[in-house]
Amino acid sequence: MKFELDAVHIEEGSRTSALARRVVGGLSPGVAVNYVADGREASRPIAGVADSFAAGKRRMVIMRRRSPFLMACPAGSSEFACCGYLVLTLASNCPMDCGYCFLQDYLADNPGFQVYANYSDAFDELERLRRNAPARGFRVGTGELADSLAFDSLTGISRDLVEYFAGRDDLTLELKTKTDEIENLLAADPKGRTLVSWTLSPERVFRSTEHRTAPPAARIEAARRVLEAGYRVAFHFDPIIAYAGAERDYIELMGNLFDVIAPERIAFVSLGGMRMTPALRAAARRRFPDDPMLLGEEVLGPDGRYRAFTPLRLRLYSALSDRIRKADAKLQTYLCMESPSVHRRVFGEPAQPPAALGARLAAN
Amino acid sequence: MNRPAGEDAIRRWAAARHLPDAHLRRWLALADEDRAALLDVAEPLRLRTGQFMTAFELLEEIVVRERATIVANGANATIATIATILARREIRRILDGTGSAPGRARELLDALRTIRFPRLKRTAQRLAEEIAALGLPHGVSVVLPKELGSDEVKVEISAHGGVELERLIDAVGQARAGLIRIADLIGGGDSIDDEV
Repeated sequence: MKFELDAVHIEEGSRTSALARRVVGGLSPGVAVNYVADGREASRPIAGVADSFAAGKRRMVIMRRRSPFLMACPAGSSEFACCGYLVLTLASNCPMDCGYCFLQDYLADNPGFQVYANYSDAFDELERLRRNAPARGFRVGTGELADSLAFDSLTGISRDLVEYFAGRDDLTLELKTKTDEIENLLAADPKGRTLVSWTLSPERVFRSTEHRTAPPAARIEAARRVLEAGYRVAFHFDPIIAYAGAERDYIELMGNLFDVIAPERIAFVSLGGMRMTPALRAAARRRFPDDPMLLGEEVLGPDGRYRAFTPLRLRLYSALSDRIRKADAKLQTYLCMESPSVHRRVFGEPAQPPAALGARLAAN
Repeated sequence: MNRPAGEDAIRRWAAARHLPDAHLRRWLALADEDRAALLDVAEPLRLRTGQFMTAFELLEEIVVRERATIVANGANATIATIATILARREIRRILDGTGSAPGRARELLDALRTIRFPRLKRTAQRLAEEIAALGLPHGVSVVLPKELGSDEVKVEISAHGGVELERLIDAVGQARAGLIRIADLIGGGDSIDDEV
Protein backbone atom coordinates (compact mmCIF):
# COMPACT_ATOMS: atom_id res chain seq x y z
CA MET A 1 0.00 0.00 0.00
CA LYS A 2 1.19 3.50 -0.74
CA PHE A 3 0.16 6.76 0.84
CA GLU A 4 -0.18 10.15 -0.78
CA LEU A 5 1.28 13.48 0.21
CA ASP A 6 0.32 17.00 -0.76
CA ALA A 7 3.65 18.53 0.13
CA VAL A 8 6.98 17.94 1.82
CA HIS A 9 8.54 20.69 3.94
CA ILE A 10 12.23 20.31 4.66
CA GLU A 11 13.91 22.27 7.39
CA GLU A 12 16.91 24.15 6.01
CA GLY A 13 19.21 22.47 8.51
CA SER A 14 18.12 19.06 7.25
CA ARG A 15 18.31 19.91 3.54
CA THR A 16 21.40 17.79 2.94
CA SER A 17 20.45 14.93 5.26
CA ALA A 18 20.31 11.40 3.92
CA LEU A 19 16.64 11.22 4.85
CA ALA A 20 15.75 14.37 2.88
CA ARG A 21 17.65 13.11 -0.13
CA ARG A 22 15.89 9.74 -0.03
CA VAL A 23 12.46 11.31 0.36
CA VAL A 24 12.92 13.92 -2.37
CA GLY A 25 14.29 11.25 -4.67
CA GLY A 26 11.33 8.97 -4.10
CA LEU A 27 8.44 11.42 -4.26
CA SER A 28 5.66 11.07 -6.77
CA PRO A 29 5.61 13.79 -9.45
CA GLY A 30 3.50 16.75 -8.44
CA VAL A 31 4.28 16.70 -4.72
CA ALA A 32 5.55 20.16 -3.78
CA VAL A 33 8.86 20.38 -1.91
CA ASN A 34 9.41 23.48 0.21
CA TYR A 35 12.34 24.49 2.38
CA VAL A 36 11.52 26.12 5.70
CA ALA A 37 13.55 27.70 8.48
CA ASP A 38 11.81 25.85 11.32
CA GLY A 39 9.93 22.57 10.86
CA ARG A 40 7.96 23.20 14.03
CA GLU A 41 6.23 26.15 12.40
CA ALA A 42 5.45 24.08 9.32
CA SER A 43 3.84 21.46 11.58
CA ARG A 44 1.24 23.79 13.08
CA PRO A 45 -2.43 23.53 12.10
CA ILE A 46 -3.29 25.39 8.93
CA ALA A 47 -5.71 28.23 9.61
CA GLY A 48 -9.08 27.92 7.95
CA VAL A 49 -8.81 24.21 7.24
CA ALA A 50 -11.81 22.34 8.62
CA ASP A 51 -9.89 19.21 9.64
CA SER A 52 -6.32 20.34 10.24
CA PHE A 53 -5.38 17.00 11.77
CA ALA A 54 -6.29 15.21 8.53
CA ALA A 55 -4.49 17.88 6.51
CA GLY A 56 -1.39 17.38 8.65
CA LYS A 57 -1.24 13.75 7.62
CA ARG A 58 -0.65 14.80 4.02
CA ARG A 59 2.10 17.30 4.88
CA MET A 60 5.43 15.65 5.66
CA VAL A 61 7.89 17.78 7.59
CA ILE A 62 11.51 16.63 7.58
CA MET A 63 13.23 18.28 10.50
CA ARG A 64 15.63 17.88 13.37
CA ARG A 65 14.22 16.48 16.59
CA ARG A 66 15.03 18.78 19.50
CA SER A 67 13.88 16.46 22.29
CA PRO A 68 15.24 13.07 23.29
CA PHE A 69 14.21 10.22 21.01
CA LEU A 70 13.98 7.63 23.76
CA MET A 71 11.37 7.71 26.50
CA ALA A 72 9.22 5.43 28.60
CA CYS A 73 5.92 4.53 26.96
CA PRO A 74 3.60 7.51 27.52
CA ALA A 75 0.73 5.14 28.24
CA GLY A 76 2.60 3.83 31.26
CA SER A 77 1.36 4.69 34.72
CA SER A 78 1.64 3.38 38.23
CA GLU A 79 -2.11 2.66 38.14
CA PHE A 80 -1.69 0.17 35.28
CA ALA A 81 0.06 -3.18 34.97
CA CYS A 82 2.57 -2.13 32.28
CA CYS A 83 4.84 -4.01 29.90
CA GLY A 84 8.10 -2.05 30.25
CA TYR A 85 7.97 -0.78 26.68
CA LEU A 86 10.40 1.95 25.65
CA VAL A 87 9.47 4.30 22.87
CA LEU A 88 11.78 5.69 20.22
CA THR A 89 10.08 8.66 18.56
CA LEU A 90 11.39 8.88 15.01
CA ALA A 91 8.24 10.39 13.53
CA SER A 92 5.04 12.04 14.69
CA ASN A 93 1.62 11.46 13.07
CA CYS A 94 0.62 8.84 10.56
CA PRO A 95 -0.87 8.76 7.06
CA MET A 96 -3.59 6.36 8.18
CA ASP A 97 -6.61 7.72 10.02
CA CYS A 98 -8.14 5.46 12.65
CA GLY A 99 -11.22 6.89 14.29
CA TYR A 100 -10.08 5.89 17.77
CA CYS A 101 -6.47 7.11 17.46
CA PHE A 102 -5.19 9.12 20.42
CA LEU A 103 -3.09 11.27 18.10
CA GLN A 104 -6.29 13.15 17.14
CA ASP A 105 -6.09 14.86 20.50
CA TYR A 106 -2.39 14.45 21.29
CA LEU A 107 -1.26 16.15 18.07
CA ALA A 108 -4.12 18.60 17.67
CA ASP A 109 -1.76 21.58 17.93
CA ASN A 110 1.03 19.95 16.02
CA PRO A 111 -0.50 17.82 13.26
CA GLY A 112 2.19 18.02 10.56
CA PHE A 113 3.64 14.60 9.82
CA GLN A 114 7.13 15.08 11.21
CA VAL A 115 9.96 12.72 10.34
CA TYR A 116 13.24 13.39 12.09
CA ALA A 117 16.30 13.72 9.90
CA ASN A 118 18.71 13.30 12.82
CA TYR A 119 17.22 9.92 13.76
CA SER A 120 20.65 8.32 13.96
CA ASP A 121 21.19 10.38 17.16
CA ALA A 122 18.72 7.93 18.71
CA PHE A 123 21.40 5.27 18.47
CA ASP A 124 23.62 7.31 20.81
CA GLU A 125 20.76 7.41 23.33
CA LEU A 126 20.35 3.67 23.05
CA GLU A 127 24.05 3.16 23.65
CA ARG A 128 23.80 5.24 26.82
CA LEU A 129 20.85 3.13 27.94
CA ARG A 130 22.86 -0.03 27.40
CA ARG A 131 25.83 1.33 29.32
CA ASN A 132 23.64 2.38 32.24
CA ALA A 133 21.85 -0.96 32.54
CA PRO A 134 24.27 -3.54 31.22
CA ALA A 135 22.52 -6.60 32.62
CA ARG A 136 19.07 -5.83 31.28
CA GLY A 137 17.21 -6.51 28.05
CA PHE A 138 14.94 -3.83 26.58
CA ARG A 139 12.13 -3.82 24.08
CA VAL A 140 12.19 -0.57 22.15
CA GLY A 141 9.49 0.40 19.69
CA THR A 142 8.93 3.13 17.14
CA GLY A 143 5.19 2.74 16.76
CA GLU A 144 3.78 5.00 19.45
CA LEU A 145 3.45 8.45 17.86
CA ALA A 146 3.61 7.08 14.34
CA ASP A 147 3.18 3.84 12.47
CA SER A 148 6.60 2.18 12.27
CA LEU A 149 6.38 1.25 8.60
CA ALA A 150 4.03 3.73 6.93
CA PHE A 151 6.10 5.57 4.31
CA ASP A 152 9.06 3.28 4.95
CA SER A 153 9.33 2.74 1.21
CA LEU A 154 10.03 6.48 0.99
CA THR A 155 12.10 7.09 4.13
CA GLY A 156 13.97 3.78 4.32
CA ILE A 157 14.44 4.24 8.07
CA SER A 158 13.68 0.61 8.90
CA ARG A 159 16.84 -0.57 7.14
CA ASP A 160 19.07 1.48 9.44
CA LEU A 161 17.11 0.44 12.51
CA VAL A 162 17.18 -3.26 11.74
CA GLU A 163 20.89 -3.07 11.05
CA TYR A 164 21.62 -1.26 14.34
CA PHE A 165 19.57 -3.65 16.47
CA ALA A 166 20.94 -6.72 14.67
CA GLY A 167 24.24 -6.21 16.46
CA ARG A 168 22.87 -5.81 19.99
CA ASP A 169 21.74 -8.86 21.90
CA ASP A 170 20.35 -6.83 24.79
CA LEU A 171 17.94 -4.81 22.65
CA THR A 172 14.85 -5.83 20.75
CA LEU A 173 13.33 -3.50 18.20
CA GLU A 174 9.55 -3.61 17.86
CA LEU A 175 8.16 -2.20 14.64
CA LYS A 176 4.43 -1.73 15.15
CA THR A 177 2.21 -1.25 12.11
CA LYS A 178 -1.17 -1.53 10.42
CA THR A 179 0.37 -1.57 6.96
CA ASP A 180 1.77 -4.26 4.72
CA GLU A 181 4.74 -2.08 3.78
CA ILE A 182 7.42 -4.69 4.44
CA GLU A 183 9.60 -4.64 1.33
CA ASN A 184 12.57 -2.97 3.05
CA LEU A 185 12.37 -5.50 5.88
CA LEU A 186 12.52 -8.42 3.51
CA ALA A 187 15.81 -7.12 2.17
CA ALA A 188 17.46 -6.88 5.62
CA ASP A 189 18.79 -9.48 8.05
CA PRO A 190 17.43 -8.84 11.57
CA LYS A 191 19.57 -11.53 13.22
CA GLY A 192 16.67 -12.20 15.56
CA ARG A 193 16.70 -8.74 17.11
CA THR A 194 13.70 -7.18 15.34
CA LEU A 195 10.13 -8.03 16.09
CA VAL A 196 7.36 -6.80 13.82
CA SER A 197 3.95 -6.44 15.37
CA TRP A 198 0.57 -5.79 13.86
CA THR A 199 -2.51 -4.32 15.39
CA LEU A 200 -5.37 -6.59 14.37
CA SER A 201 -9.06 -5.77 14.29
CA PRO A 202 -12.05 -7.59 12.86
CA GLU A 203 -13.22 -6.74 9.37
CA ARG A 204 -16.11 -4.66 10.75
CA VAL A 205 -13.78 -2.42 12.72
CA PHE A 206 -11.36 -2.15 9.81
CA ARG A 207 -14.13 -1.08 7.43
CA SER A 208 -15.80 1.31 9.82
CA THR A 209 -12.90 2.91 11.61
CA GLU A 210 -9.38 2.08 10.38
CA HIS A 211 -9.21 4.33 7.35
CA ARG A 212 -6.41 3.76 4.83
CA THR A 213 -4.93 0.84 6.76
CA ALA A 214 -4.20 -2.55 5.21
CA PRO A 215 -7.07 -5.06 5.53
CA PRO A 216 -6.68 -7.54 8.40
CA ALA A 217 -5.95 -10.44 6.05
CA ALA A 218 -3.19 -8.41 4.35
CA ARG A 219 -1.62 -7.65 7.73
CA ILE A 220 -1.60 -11.33 8.64
CA GLU A 221 -0.11 -12.24 5.29
CA ALA A 222 2.59 -9.58 5.72
CA ALA A 223 3.35 -11.07 9.14
CA ARG A 224 3.72 -14.51 7.61
CA ARG A 225 6.19 -13.14 5.09
CA VAL A 226 8.40 -11.32 7.60
CA LEU A 227 8.34 -14.36 9.85
CA GLU A 228 9.68 -16.43 6.98
CA ALA A 229 12.33 -13.74 6.45
CA GLY A 230 13.70 -14.22 9.97
CA TYR A 231 11.76 -11.66 11.99
CA ARG A 232 9.83 -12.36 15.14
CA VAL A 233 6.17 -11.37 15.05
CA ALA A 234 3.62 -10.25 17.63
CA PHE A 235 0.04 -9.03 17.55
CA HIS A 236 -1.89 -6.35 19.37
CA PHE A 237 -5.62 -6.81 19.68
CA ASP A 238 -5.83 -3.24 20.76
CA PRO A 239 -8.12 -1.41 20.81
CA ILE A 240 -10.74 -4.06 21.29
CA ILE A 241 -14.08 -2.46 20.53
CA ALA A 242 -17.02 -4.01 22.37
CA TYR A 243 -19.72 -3.70 19.73
CA ALA A 244 -22.56 -6.24 19.62
CA GLY A 245 -21.06 -9.36 18.08
CA ALA A 246 -17.49 -8.39 18.98
CA GLU A 247 -16.72 -11.58 20.89
CA ARG A 248 -17.57 -13.76 17.92
CA ASP A 249 -15.67 -11.52 15.47
CA TYR A 250 -12.49 -11.25 17.56
CA ILE A 251 -12.42 -14.98 18.19
CA GLU A 252 -12.89 -15.63 14.50
CA LEU A 253 -10.06 -13.19 13.77
CA MET A 254 -7.79 -15.03 16.19
CA GLY A 255 -8.70 -18.28 14.46
CA ASN A 256 -7.78 -16.76 11.10
CA LEU A 257 -4.47 -15.61 12.54
CA PHE A 258 -3.60 -18.98 14.06
CA ASP A 259 -4.52 -20.71 10.79
CA VAL A 260 -1.81 -18.72 9.01
CA ILE A 261 0.76 -18.35 11.78
CA ALA A 262 1.18 -21.12 14.31
CA PRO A 263 0.73 -19.68 17.80
CA GLU A 264 4.03 -21.12 19.00
CA ARG A 265 5.78 -18.90 16.43
CA ILE A 266 4.19 -15.73 17.84
CA ALA A 267 6.34 -13.82 20.33
CA PHE A 268 3.41 -12.35 22.26
CA VAL A 269 -0.10 -11.02 22.06
CA SER A 270 -1.46 -7.93 23.78
CA LEU A 271 -5.06 -7.11 24.53
CA GLY A 272 -6.42 -3.66 25.26
CA GLY A 273 -9.92 -2.26 25.32
CA MET A 274 -10.70 0.98 23.54
CA ARG A 275 -10.11 3.86 25.94
CA MET A 276 -10.52 7.54 25.35
CA THR A 277 -10.04 10.64 27.41
CA PRO A 278 -13.01 13.02 27.19
CA ALA A 279 -10.96 15.29 24.91
CA LEU A 280 -10.07 12.46 22.57
CA ARG A 281 -13.65 11.21 22.54
CA ALA A 282 -14.89 14.66 21.58
CA ALA A 283 -12.29 15.00 18.83
CA ALA A 284 -13.00 11.53 17.44
CA ARG A 285 -16.75 12.06 17.41
CA ARG A 286 -16.36 15.45 15.78
CA ARG A 287 -14.26 13.93 12.99
CA PHE A 288 -16.26 10.72 12.57
CA PRO A 289 -19.81 11.44 13.74
CA ASP A 290 -21.32 8.53 11.82
CA ASP A 291 -18.93 5.83 12.99
CA PRO A 292 -20.89 3.44 15.23
CA MET A 293 -17.65 1.97 16.59
CA LEU A 294 -17.12 5.23 18.47
CA LEU A 295 -20.59 5.01 19.99
CA GLY A 296 -20.32 1.87 22.06
CA GLU A 297 -21.32 1.43 25.69
CA GLU A 298 -18.38 3.32 27.12
CA VAL A 299 -18.53 4.92 30.54
CA LEU A 300 -16.13 7.18 32.39
CA GLY A 301 -13.84 5.15 34.62
CA PRO A 302 -11.89 6.15 37.72
CA ASP A 303 -8.80 6.88 35.61
CA GLY A 304 -10.68 9.57 33.68
CA ARG A 305 -11.03 7.56 30.47
CA TYR A 306 -14.07 6.23 28.71
CA ARG A 307 -14.04 2.44 28.31
CA ALA A 308 -16.65 -0.24 27.71
CA PHE A 309 -18.35 -0.81 31.06
CA THR A 310 -16.36 -3.22 33.17
CA PRO A 311 -18.32 -6.52 33.03
CA LEU A 312 -18.54 -6.24 29.25
CA ARG A 313 -14.87 -5.42 28.80
CA LEU A 314 -13.66 -8.09 31.18
CA ARG A 315 -15.87 -10.71 29.62
CA LEU A 316 -14.31 -9.94 26.24
CA TYR A 317 -10.79 -10.12 27.69
CA SER A 318 -11.55 -13.45 29.32
CA ALA A 319 -13.05 -14.93 26.16
CA LEU A 320 -10.06 -13.87 24.07
CA SER A 321 -7.58 -14.97 26.71
CA ASP A 322 -9.27 -18.40 26.79
CA ARG A 323 -9.03 -18.62 23.00
CA ILE A 324 -5.30 -17.81 23.14
CA ARG A 325 -4.71 -20.37 25.90
CA LYS A 326 -6.60 -22.97 23.88
CA ALA A 327 -4.31 -22.27 20.91
CA ASP A 328 -1.11 -22.29 22.96
CA ALA A 329 -1.03 -22.18 26.74
CA LYS A 330 2.53 -20.79 26.63
CA LEU A 331 1.81 -17.86 24.34
CA GLN A 332 2.77 -14.76 26.34
CA THR A 333 -0.24 -12.46 26.66
CA TYR A 334 -0.60 -9.16 28.47
CA LEU A 335 -3.13 -6.37 28.92
CA CYS A 336 -2.37 -2.78 27.97
CA MET A 337 -3.48 0.10 30.21
CA GLU A 338 -5.46 -2.00 32.62
CA SER A 339 -5.18 -2.15 36.39
CA PRO A 340 -3.45 -4.98 38.26
CA SER A 341 -6.87 -6.12 39.53
CA VAL A 342 -8.22 -6.48 35.99
CA HIS A 343 -5.06 -8.38 35.07
CA ARG A 344 -5.60 -10.75 37.99
CA ARG A 345 -9.23 -11.33 37.07
CA VAL A 346 -8.45 -12.09 33.43
CA PHE A 347 -5.34 -14.22 33.85
CA GLY A 348 -5.90 -15.54 37.35
CA GLU A 349 -2.49 -14.40 38.54
CA PRO A 350 -0.81 -11.13 39.54
CA ALA A 351 0.73 -8.97 36.86
CA GLN A 352 4.50 -9.10 36.55
CA PRO A 353 6.47 -5.93 37.32
CA PRO A 354 6.95 -3.84 34.15
CA ALA A 355 10.70 -4.39 33.94
CA ALA A 356 10.32 -8.17 34.26
CA LEU A 357 7.55 -8.35 31.69
CA GLY A 358 9.47 -6.03 29.37
CA ALA A 359 12.54 -8.24 29.54
CA ARG A 360 10.43 -11.33 28.97
CA LEU A 361 8.70 -9.85 25.93
CA ALA A 362 12.06 -8.78 24.55
CA ALA A 363 13.42 -12.28 24.96
CA ASN A 364 10.48 -14.25 23.50
CA MET B 1 -37.33 33.83 1.50
CA ASN B 2 -39.72 31.61 3.44
CA ARG B 3 -38.33 29.71 6.38
CA PRO B 4 -39.16 26.00 6.64
CA ALA B 5 -42.14 25.23 8.82
CA GLY B 6 -41.37 25.29 12.52
CA GLU B 7 -38.11 27.18 12.25
CA ASP B 8 -39.46 30.25 13.99
CA ALA B 9 -40.82 28.15 16.84
CA ILE B 10 -37.48 26.39 17.21
CA ARG B 11 -35.60 29.67 17.25
CA ARG B 12 -37.97 31.05 19.87
CA TRP B 13 -37.52 28.02 22.10
CA ALA B 14 -33.74 28.09 21.64
CA ALA B 15 -33.55 31.79 22.45
CA ALA B 16 -35.68 31.40 25.56
CA ARG B 17 -33.48 28.54 26.77
CA HIS B 18 -30.15 30.10 25.70
CA LEU B 19 -29.38 27.03 23.64
CA PRO B 20 -25.80 27.24 22.31
CA ASP B 21 -25.59 28.23 18.65
CA ALA B 22 -23.89 25.01 17.65
CA HIS B 23 -26.83 23.00 18.93
CA LEU B 24 -29.35 25.28 17.28
CA ARG B 25 -27.55 24.89 13.96
CA ARG B 26 -27.56 21.10 14.32
CA TRP B 27 -31.24 21.16 15.21
CA LEU B 28 -32.15 23.29 12.20
CA ALA B 29 -30.06 21.09 9.93
CA LEU B 30 -32.19 18.03 10.72
CA ALA B 31 -34.86 16.69 8.40
CA ASP B 32 -38.25 18.39 8.86
CA GLU B 33 -39.79 15.43 10.72
CA ASP B 34 -36.85 15.13 13.09
CA ARG B 35 -36.67 18.75 14.08
CA ALA B 36 -40.40 18.95 14.55
CA ALA B 37 -40.33 15.81 16.69
CA LEU B 38 -37.65 17.35 18.91
CA LEU B 39 -39.70 20.49 19.40
CA ASP B 40 -42.73 18.34 20.21
CA VAL B 41 -40.71 16.89 23.08
CA ALA B 42 -38.93 20.02 24.24
CA GLU B 43 -42.02 22.21 24.62
CA PRO B 44 -44.51 20.05 26.52
CA LEU B 45 -41.86 18.51 28.81
CA ARG B 46 -40.37 21.96 29.38
CA LEU B 47 -36.87 20.51 28.99
CA ARG B 48 -34.10 22.51 30.56
CA THR B 49 -31.22 23.43 28.25
CA GLY B 50 -28.94 20.71 29.57
CA GLN B 51 -31.70 18.12 29.38
CA PHE B 52 -32.44 19.07 25.79
CA MET B 53 -28.76 18.85 24.81
CA THR B 54 -28.45 15.43 26.47
CA ALA B 55 -31.62 14.13 24.80
CA PHE B 56 -30.51 15.46 21.42
CA GLU B 57 -27.09 13.83 21.75
CA LEU B 58 -28.55 10.51 22.89
CA LEU B 59 -31.00 10.53 19.99
CA GLU B 60 -28.27 11.26 17.44
CA GLU B 61 -26.14 8.45 18.84
CA ILE B 62 -29.03 6.00 18.87
CA VAL B 63 -29.69 6.77 15.21
CA VAL B 64 -26.08 6.04 14.23
CA ARG B 65 -25.97 2.84 16.31
CA GLU B 66 -29.26 1.47 15.02
CA ARG B 67 -28.48 2.24 11.38
CA ALA B 68 -25.19 0.36 11.75
CA THR B 69 -26.99 -2.62 13.26
CA ILE B 70 -29.42 -2.71 10.37
CA VAL B 71 -26.60 -2.53 7.83
CA ALA B 72 -24.53 -5.18 9.65
CA ASN B 73 -27.42 -7.62 9.94
CA GLY B 74 -28.83 -6.89 6.50
CA ALA B 75 -32.15 -6.51 8.26
CA ASN B 76 -35.13 -5.23 6.36
CA ALA B 77 -36.13 -2.79 9.08
CA THR B 78 -37.20 0.83 9.17
CA ILE B 79 -34.17 3.10 9.19
CA ALA B 80 -34.04 4.83 12.56
CA THR B 81 -34.50 8.57 12.70
CA ILE B 82 -35.01 10.90 15.62
CA ALA B 83 -38.70 11.06 14.74
CA THR B 84 -39.15 7.27 14.60
CA ILE B 85 -37.33 6.82 17.91
CA LEU B 86 -39.51 9.42 19.60
CA ALA B 87 -42.58 7.69 18.15
CA ARG B 88 -41.79 4.38 19.89
CA ARG B 89 -44.29 3.10 22.37
CA GLU B 90 -42.00 3.36 25.42
CA ILE B 91 -41.26 6.99 24.57
CA ARG B 92 -44.84 7.91 23.64
CA ARG B 93 -45.99 6.51 26.97
CA ILE B 94 -43.82 9.10 28.70
CA LEU B 95 -44.68 11.96 26.39
CA ASP B 96 -48.41 11.27 26.63
CA GLY B 97 -48.31 10.57 30.37
CA THR B 98 -50.03 12.61 33.01
CA GLY B 99 -47.15 13.14 35.43
CA SER B 100 -45.40 16.45 35.99
CA ALA B 101 -43.33 17.83 33.14
CA PRO B 102 -40.03 17.67 35.10
CA GLY B 103 -40.78 14.08 36.13
CA ARG B 104 -41.54 13.06 32.58
CA ALA B 105 -38.40 14.85 31.37
CA ARG B 106 -36.32 12.71 33.73
CA GLU B 107 -38.17 9.60 32.58
CA LEU B 108 -37.49 10.48 28.97
CA LEU B 109 -33.75 10.76 29.55
CA ASP B 110 -33.74 7.44 31.43
CA ALA B 111 -35.61 5.78 28.58
CA LEU B 112 -33.22 7.19 25.99
CA ARG B 113 -30.22 6.03 28.04
CA THR B 114 -31.73 2.55 28.18
CA ILE B 115 -31.95 2.48 24.38
CA ARG B 116 -28.47 3.99 23.98
CA PHE B 117 -26.79 1.68 26.55
CA PRO B 118 -28.83 -1.53 26.34
CA ARG B 119 -26.27 -4.00 27.68
CA LEU B 120 -25.19 -1.70 30.49
CA LYS B 121 -28.80 -1.27 31.57
CA ARG B 122 -29.47 -5.02 31.44
CA THR B 123 -26.32 -5.77 33.41
CA ALA B 124 -27.07 -3.13 36.02
CA GLN B 125 -30.62 -4.46 36.36
CA ARG B 126 -29.34 -8.00 36.79
CA LEU B 127 -26.88 -6.93 39.47
CA ALA B 128 -29.58 -4.96 41.27
CA GLU B 129 -31.76 -8.07 41.31
CA GLU B 130 -28.90 -10.20 42.64
CA ILE B 131 -28.27 -7.69 45.43
CA ALA B 132 -31.96 -7.49 46.31
CA ALA B 133 -32.13 -11.29 46.44
CA LEU B 134 -29.48 -11.33 49.19
CA GLY B 135 -32.02 -9.81 51.57
CA LEU B 136 -29.37 -7.84 53.42
CA PRO B 137 -30.64 -6.05 56.51
CA HIS B 138 -30.91 -2.30 56.87
CA GLY B 139 -27.43 -1.02 57.71
CA VAL B 140 -25.65 -3.15 55.10
CA SER B 141 -25.40 -1.94 51.54
CA VAL B 142 -23.61 -3.13 48.45
CA VAL B 143 -22.24 -0.20 46.49
CA LEU B 144 -21.47 -0.81 42.85
CA PRO B 145 -19.13 1.43 40.86
CA LYS B 146 -20.84 4.29 39.05
CA GLU B 147 -22.09 3.04 35.68
CA LEU B 148 -20.06 -0.13 36.31
CA GLY B 149 -16.98 1.86 35.38
CA SER B 150 -14.60 -0.22 37.50
CA ASP B 151 -14.42 -3.66 39.09
CA GLU B 152 -14.57 -2.41 42.67
CA VAL B 153 -17.42 -3.53 44.92
CA LYS B 154 -17.93 -1.95 48.32
CA VAL B 155 -19.89 -3.52 51.14
CA GLU B 156 -20.79 -0.81 53.62
CA ILE B 157 -21.90 -1.50 57.18
CA SER B 158 -23.45 1.26 59.20
CA ALA B 159 -24.14 0.35 62.84
CA HIS B 160 -24.92 2.02 66.14
CA GLY B 161 -23.26 0.03 68.87
CA GLY B 162 -21.50 -3.28 69.17
CA VAL B 163 -24.58 -5.46 69.25
CA GLU B 164 -25.93 -4.08 66.03
CA LEU B 165 -22.51 -4.23 64.38
CA GLU B 166 -22.15 -7.90 65.33
CA ARG B 167 -25.58 -8.68 63.87
CA LEU B 168 -24.76 -6.91 60.61
CA ILE B 169 -21.35 -8.56 60.31
CA ASP B 170 -23.06 -11.92 60.77
CA ALA B 171 -25.52 -11.00 58.02
CA VAL B 172 -22.67 -10.14 55.68
CA GLY B 173 -21.01 -13.43 56.54
CA GLN B 174 -24.18 -15.34 55.73
CA ALA B 175 -24.39 -13.54 52.39
CA ARG B 176 -20.76 -14.38 51.62
CA ALA B 177 -21.39 -16.60 48.60
CA GLY B 178 -23.86 -14.17 47.07
CA LEU B 179 -21.52 -11.22 47.56
CA ILE B 180 -18.66 -13.10 45.93
CA ARG B 181 -20.93 -13.93 43.04
CA ILE B 182 -21.78 -10.24 42.59
CA ALA B 183 -18.10 -9.32 42.61
CA ASP B 184 -17.48 -12.00 39.98
CA LEU B 185 -20.34 -10.75 37.83
CA ILE B 186 -18.76 -7.31 37.75
CA GLY B 187 -15.62 -8.97 36.50
CA GLY B 188 -17.50 -10.42 33.55
CA GLY B 189 -18.04 -13.77 35.22
CA ASP B 190 -21.03 -15.92 34.32
CA SER B 191 -23.07 -14.83 31.35
CA ILE B 192 -23.70 -11.11 31.69
CA ASP B 193 -25.26 -11.00 28.29
CA ASP B 194 -25.96 -13.58 25.62
CA GLU B 195 -24.61 -11.39 22.87
CA VAL B 196 -21.32 -9.61 23.42
